[in-house]
Amino acid sequence: MNPRRLYRRFASEVLVLPGRTTVLAVCLVLLILPLFHRHPYTLRVLSLTFIFAIFAASWDLLSGFVGQLSLGHAIFFGVAAYTSALLNLQAGLPPLVTIPAGALVAVLMGLVVGIPCLRLKGQYLSLATMGFPIILTGLVYLFSDLTGGELGVSGLARLGPTRLSEYYIALVLVLGLGLIMWKITDSKVGLVFHAIREDEITARASGINTPLYKLLAFCLSGFFAGISGGLYSHFMRVAGPSTLSVLTSFQPVIWTIFGGVASIYGAIAGTFVLYPLMEFLRVAPELRTLIFAALVVLVLRFMPEGLTPWFIDRVESECPRCKEHNAVTRRTCRVCGAPLGRPSAPGAGPFQPGKGGRVAG
Amino acid sequence: MVTPPEASNLLEVRGLTVCYDTAMLLNNVSLSVGRGELVGLVGPNGAGKTTLLRTVAGLVRWEKQSKQGTRAGNITIAGEVRFDGERIDSLPPHVIARRGLVLCPERRRPFTELTVADNLMAGAYLQKDRRALRETLDMVHQMFPVLKQRARQISGTLSGGEQQMLAIGRALMTRPRLLCVDEPSTGLSPLVKKELFAKISEINRRGITVLLVEQDTALTLSVCARSYVLSHSRIVASGARQDLLADQTVHRSYLGLQSP
Repeated sequence: MNPRRLYRRFASEVLVLPGRTTVLAVCLVLLILPLFHRHPYTLRVLSLTFIFAIFAASWDLLSGFVGQLSLGHAIFFGVAAYTSALLNLQAGLPPLVTIPAGALVAVLMGLVVGIPCLRLKGQYLSLATMGFPIILTGLVYLFSDLTGGELGVSGLARLGPTRLSEYYIALVLVLGLGLIMWKITDSKVGLVFHAIREDEITARASGINTPLYKLLAFCLSGFFAGISGGLYSHFMRVAGPSTLSVLTSFQPVIWTIFGGVASIYGAIAGTFVLYPLMEFLRVAPELRTLIFAALVVLVLRFMPEGLTPWFIDRVESECPRCKEHNAVTRRTCRVCGAPLGRPSAPGAGPFQPGKGGRVAG
Repeated sequence: MVTPPEASNLLEVRGLTVCYDTAMLLNNVSLSVGRGELVGLVGPNGAGKTTLLRTVAGLVRWEKQSKQGTRAGNITIAGEVRFDGERIDSLPPHVIARRGLVLCPERRRPFTELTVADNLMAGAYLQKDRRALRETLDMVHQMFPVLKQRARQISGTLSGGEQQMLAIGRALMTRPRLLCVDEPSTGLSPLVKKELFAKISEINRRGITVLLVEQDTALTLSVCARSYVLSHSRIVASGARQDLLADQTVHRSYLGLQSP
């Protein structure tokens, strides 16, 4: 395609919306950050943030989009971490092979979890999913000769030769896999996922094989969570029982709800804010958890739908006529040209320019 | 002796009995819908109309399977449902829909967080041919122009009448051979009701067989050439509009209409 036309398309798709421009700016900052700041601790925290962001987005794919509330998501993370670790140590395979292999085992685990959970809904489904990592933890301790028991499997090959290379591997993967997950949710499959979450009976009466799609969601989510589990084990060079803990299952739930459910980018944004925050709060170790919890509660008190919907609501407005999003600074819709604006108060009547309506710019 | 199903019938229900635990919701119900017909099924609240449609669409059997082992899953289904001459009573709901028997459910049930356009596309899940999809969408838009005007609106914010149009439009997107519409007039004003029933007649004139389940007897009889009356889980009367209207007992006891 002609470069000028390509730029024009890029400008009309990305630069016109502050939300997308912000995402682009964050990506660029993360890409060039090591040019200015290469402290190993910062790179380590950010690399782990990227790995956990993939994990949180995979939870959002299953629970946010399809409504299958999983409280045992660590099963996918842990099983892939152990698979990668064992394949690396026992068979001597490199991370390039062990990580996809771990993800494939996590896909199989998606079937193992999904099939018995097909008939379950709501809190019963959540409780059932919680059971699986607990069972696997039991097996880890039972076969401690193989799994290393409490200490786990250690001495794995590094993800990359240097901290910097590991940073870029994790960054490229979070951006790439995040984009793939977002495209899945934006496709026909995503529409079916939405429909199942909203009303499974109507979806099935429309000819949609809902059990098959629910299994697909478990497998897809398992695959992405598995990639993050494999990355984690090679990054930390250890796979231990903590990868299957209840905390590991709950973390993606907290990050995603904080960032905004059913959007993929919300889960990633939530992890980008909360994981480094928890790390940097180590300056006050005795108050760390308290400050973190208080902050999460406070933020959700004022942003009940999460961080990203709150942010988008402030920087973008929806055209009343064509429903396209516009920068909040615009006076007319970029697509249909309709006047934009909001009444100054509820019941204030139709917006009249210059008479108290809230229009910036 | 078992009589063979009539070849002209698209839907044939025979001796259908459905019990939820100890409650009998359908008692030996038999009915048929011929190809190209617009058939009404009327009756008071709790007569079993919705249960009949849900059973025919395979939803009751699915409910039974998904709640197996609990008291709510203690459902008994007996009898026979044939669609286009083939038995469908053991098929899952999505396979029944794929064969062309599509249910437009009670209380509209739009996917409230999706836009009008996405609701229609979810209904078009079965259509793989892009051209056919475009044609069906054009037909739905032509029939319900408001769905085109509000294509990008979140469907949960539509009015009751618009949501009903969306529910019918979504069902039409599956290109049904038999459209089962469950109580479309619930909660609508008389004017909107009338408009909606005219649309249902138009759908039938376009060659789609329709089974219309309704509480509004007068309006249903006015659009359907043939109707069934369901009361206390049984079919108590059936026939052409004028026959039902001429029968004084049916009139007084079941239809609740003024005597002619």
